[in-house]
Amino acid sequence: MSDAVVHVRGLEKIYKVHERETGVGATVRSFFKRKFKDVPAVGGIDLDIERSEVVGFLGPNGAGKTTTLKVLSGLLYPTGGDATVLGYTPWKREYAFLRRIALLMGNRTQLVWDIPAADSFLVLKQIYGISDADFKSRLDGLIELLELGPLIHKPVRQLSLGERMKVEFAAGLLHGPEVVFLDEPTLGLDVSMQARIRRFVSELNKRTGATILLTSHYMDDIVALCKRVIVIHHGKLLYDGALADLAERMAPYKVVGATLRDGAARADLSRYGEVVSNDGAGRVKLRVPRAEAPARTARLVADLGDALADLSLEDPPIEDVIDRVFSGEKLQAVAS
Amino acid sequence: MALVRTYRALLLAGFQQMAQYRIQSLLWMLFAIIRPVIFLAAWVAIATAQGGAVSGYTVGDFAAYYVCLAWVTQLVMAWNSQEFEWEVNQGRLSAKLLRPLHPIHYSIVDNIVYKVTTLPVLAVILIVISVAFGAHYQTQPWHVVVFVPSIILAAALFFVFGYIVASLAFWATRMRTANTLWQRASFVFAGQIAPVALMPVWLQAMAYGLPFWYMQGAPTEILQGTATPERAAFILVGQVAWLIVCYAVFRVVWRRGVRAYSAVGA
Repeated sequence: MSDAVVHVRGLEKIYKVHERETGVGATVRSFFKRKFKDVPAVGGIDLDIERSEVVGFLGPNGAGKTTTLKVLSGLLYPTGGDATVLGYTPWKREYAFLRRIALLMGNRTQLVWDIPAADSFLVLKQIYGISDADFKSRLDGLIELLELGPLIHKPVRQLSLGERMKVEFAAGLLHGPEVVFLDEPTLGLDVSMQARIRRFVSELNKRTGATILLTSHYMDDIVALCKRVIVIHHGKLLYDGALADLAERMAPYKVVGATLRDGAARADLSRYGEVVSNDGAGRVKLRVPRAEAPARTARLVADLGDALADLSLEDPPIEDVIDRVFSGEKLQAVAS
Repeated sequence: MALVRTYRALLLAGFQQMAQYRIQSLLWMLFAIIRPVIFLAAWVAIATAQGGAVSGYTVGDFAAYYVCLAWVTQLVMAWNSQEFEWEVNQGRLSAKLLRPLHPIHYSIVDNIVYKVTTLPVLAVILIVISVAFGAHYQTQPWHVVVFVPSIILAAALFFVFGYIVASLAFWATRMRTANTLWQRASFVFAGQIAPVALMPVWLQAMAYGLPFWYMQGAPTEILQGTATPERAAFILVGQVAWLIVCYAVFRVVWRRGVRAYSAVGA
């Protein structure tokens, strides 16, 4: 038995989807005999998450991220494999388990729209059996962290999307979950609200020690919150490790940034690497194979001499790495 | 005790929510009693045309039957099967499934809130109809005593049956047809179109073999006072039997349905 808070082995989820061709004949036939297709959403992944870790779950639409979260929170039954969360089998949905986890999904409302959130909180207090003292201290903490003060006394339907998200967060966390599954927590929010939610999630982890598994399309969320990331694509695990190592492991290239003095702006640098951008004013970016980066950079310096005003050698931006991984370009699956 | 506290909190929130939709609640209530009133008017017209009675049912008997049927309908009616489809298709069920409380409790509370808030208005309407049509009740004190368990069993049966129909939403995206089928069956077999006693014998036999009459027509006969002690016993036994069957089916359907749930939309 693993000590990990989240322990997953060979998890699979296959959806059965009704499939029908277009046309009158196919429509008539589908009345009598339906054809179903198996669509694998999660194709046998393994992972372990330790207590108090904040882990980013990355993947394009349809990669299987949300399905995995739904299985781990007990909402879906898997087709195969095994998983435990806090020692419980999630899909048995024991009440003792449900009291210790939370699944927060973007802008999906858990609150009653027609009454103020404060009244919904009182209902949740009774459902989760939260003591008066815990309820007060947690609510006070959430009000402070999320700046909820005036919001919780307005009917939920009168709140803006961002405000509603914040009270949703509070509703989902009132019972003090030890494991929090966050699915696209900043989806649709403006930049300032995104930053606030990020600060809140980080503070939540620090204050309560909650283990957090987070999916997001915004790399800023991942960079701000997660030291570790798990990358899945077509339901398969591609990478599980430090965010800092992701570029090194997944992208077989580095980016050379060269700033050229007047007169050299039109110089052809393609012999040193693939030209990614050239603004015509002297700033050029090159993509060079990772293994050859030092030698090519040295040759560039030697060849250009005084024409070179500035030079940098960096890992590619994380968004580019992820984009290239998901588009299948120079894919190096290095799951470990 | 924890469940009692939870119910108290849910009821409070339910009443607050209902207060936002007072007009809608009243319209639903009127919708629920309009059918018995239409049938009452039709039977009164027929009875009057036939010299004041149809198969021994006088105008006053019809009035008593349909007023009692309206009461019973109000007390047993649940909208859970319609609401559940919406919750499944919108993914709203997910939040409920992830809380340590069976989703059925939310429906029970909604049901109680609806009944309590609309009952006073219904009472006034039915008293007026009763007086206007000269309703003739044959109710004895023992009928009232037996009516209490009978209406509770009928409401439970209606509710559980509704949840079985509702659970079809786990597999079928649109299950309104199942609801419509249930409504049409109730139309004939629950005693809505006419008291079952006035139907052909073969239709009566079918009504007694199906669950619908035990939900509405049977407790109506008890409240109206036309049921003999033997018939009341037959009704109670039938209600208990159907409730056991429906509850067992519900348990199986729910367990399998939740496994099939794909949490679309949430």
